Amino acid sequence: MNDKRPGIPTYALLAVLAVLFLYPIWWAISSSIKPAAEIISDPLSFNPLDATLDGYRAMFADVPIGTGFANTALVLVVKGAMTLFFCPLAGYAFAKYRFAGKNVLFGIVLLTLMLPTLVLIIPLLLEMSALGWVNTYKALILPGSIDAFSIFWMRQVIAAIPDELLDAGRVDGASEFGLFRRIVVPVIRPGLAGLAVLTMMNIYNDFVWPVVAVNDEKHQTLQVVLSTLAQNITGNRIGADFATVWSELLAASSIAMIPLLLVFIFLQRHFINGILAGSVKG
Amino acid sequence: MSALLQKRAAPYVFVLPFFLVFAAFGAYPLAYALRLSFTKWTGAGEARWIGLDNYTYLLTSPEFWASLGNSSIMWLLVVPIQLVAGLGAAVLLSNAKLRLRGLFRVAFIAPFVTPLVAMAQVWIVVFDRDYGLVNHALNLIGLPDVGWLTSTAWSKPTLALLFLWKTTGFAIIILLAGLQSVPTHVYEAADLDGASRWRQFWSMTVPLMRRSLSFLLVIQTLAVFQMFAEPFVVTQGGPYGSTTTAGLYLYDHITASDLGTGAANSFLLVILVFALSLISVRFLRARDE
Repeated sequence: MNDKRPGIPTYALLAVLAVLFLYPIWWAISSSIKPAAEIISDPLSFNPLDATLDGYRAMFADVPIGTGFANTALVLVVKGAMTLFFCPLAGYAFAKYRFAGKNVLFGIVLLTLMLPTLVLIIPLLLEMSALGWVNTYKALILPGSIDAFSIFWMRQVIAAIPDELLDAGRVDGASEFGLFRRIVVPVIRPGLAGLAVLTMMNIYNDFVWPVVAVNDEKHQTLQVVLSTLAQNITGNRIGADFATVWSELLAASSIAMIPLLLVFIFLQRHFINGILAGSVKG
Repeated sequence: MSALLQKRAAPYVFVLPFFLVFAAFGAYPLAYALRLSFTKWTGAGEARWIGLDNYTYLLTSPEFWASLGNSSIMWLLVVPIQLVAGLGAAVLLSNAKLRLRGLFRVAFIAPFVTPLVAMAQVWIVVFDRDYGLVNHALNLIGLPDVGWLTSTAWSKPTLALLFLWKTTGFAIIILLAGLQSVPTHVYEAADLDGASRWRQFWSMTVPLMRRSLSFLLVIQTLAVFQMFAEPFVVTQGGPYGSTTTAGLYLYDHITASDLGTGAANSFLLVILVFALSLISVRFLRARDE
């Protein structure tokens, strides 16, 4: 709109909204360093002088959160690398080559975009058990490792590269893969950064498939470890140590959200680009 | 290998990895599930062919319809509020003279970045009936406790609030980008014609935003009907099944080892989700003419 200077009501409204959005995060993190008893007796207070790491100490002793972090990191690295390598490569083929069957193949990519994750859960689980892959890293990593959405997005990004640039590379004698590596990848670096950040967020937060595919403690990802914690708590309400349990739960939740929040704060622009790229398909 | 041959073969090699993964973990399980949906199987022993029985069982089962009903109520609690509030916030943020815009934007998207499971646990604590933050605050201003997660009346709104809190920032970002692609001269012309701000909003901004709004409508409808982690972590579908969403009901077939019915349920859900997307796209297309 051709803008008037915003008045105090605008700022007040936005500020109230911002507080509503941030308060739950602040409350969880600040309460995780409060003395346990106060989380229940005085949930609104926060006194930095009383800050304590007791909740974290107890949580590390009780909850295999280190294993969760390690497993998530492993899945993140391998699955993320597969997405970041194979999806732009396929996007490049769809954007810059003419080949027989291209439209049909791309049609399949578009159709899988609309496939709800939930449909595949049961048959995939059965496939995993037939292969003997339940409770393995393969099960966590391979399904969904090269996804249609990332191919679609990278195709859009690569289509903007002028053909002359690629033809010049061919004249210089570059191989087809060489064109991708030496010309396409450097040009689409900002798009790749957006893809990297969004992929990282999705893998880190993924829950539905990991909770189905893995049920032993050794292979649980961070989110699965967190969810078992919640079930223990809701299942067992009567106990003198209610406050301590909550304190551990808040410590685990806080420590799980901090890495992503940090990445978000430092790589905000790429995050927003990533989110917006997702809306292109609409 | 000659350069020409290499150029011919290259695209197939480049797209091959996707199709291998899709064949193994997409197409194959899908075909398998289709066959499974016509059988009775508990995960061990022989699967028995029973034709359409799983489908007729589900379509006549009150629990199946209840799960769709719960998801529909969730949809009503989430999507209209999100679109209206999101558009309102995006309009405020799109003002070029607004200061601190970056800061507001960070605040609004922060929830979208937090892990859902972690925040679902925080919800358990915050909305606890006996010791939770919200009831504590209500008591301070003289109001009685509310069973946010323990009463059938409040359990859905409390989960809907988690979903709204988590994803409205995403909606705001999409709508803000949409608003910024609306050319400013359109408004200048309207100003000259003396159209009021309110009039401009309804007769210009909203129609021009149809693309962003329809995208959000489709995406969020799909998300609500697939909602799983929120009820799984916070309420386990209770109290009295009031938060057993379509997604959670599907999962219950796995825990009950009733895999044929589960597969049939998956397909019914896919048909529903596809139909809903088609209807929303149609609805918005029709008004585009």
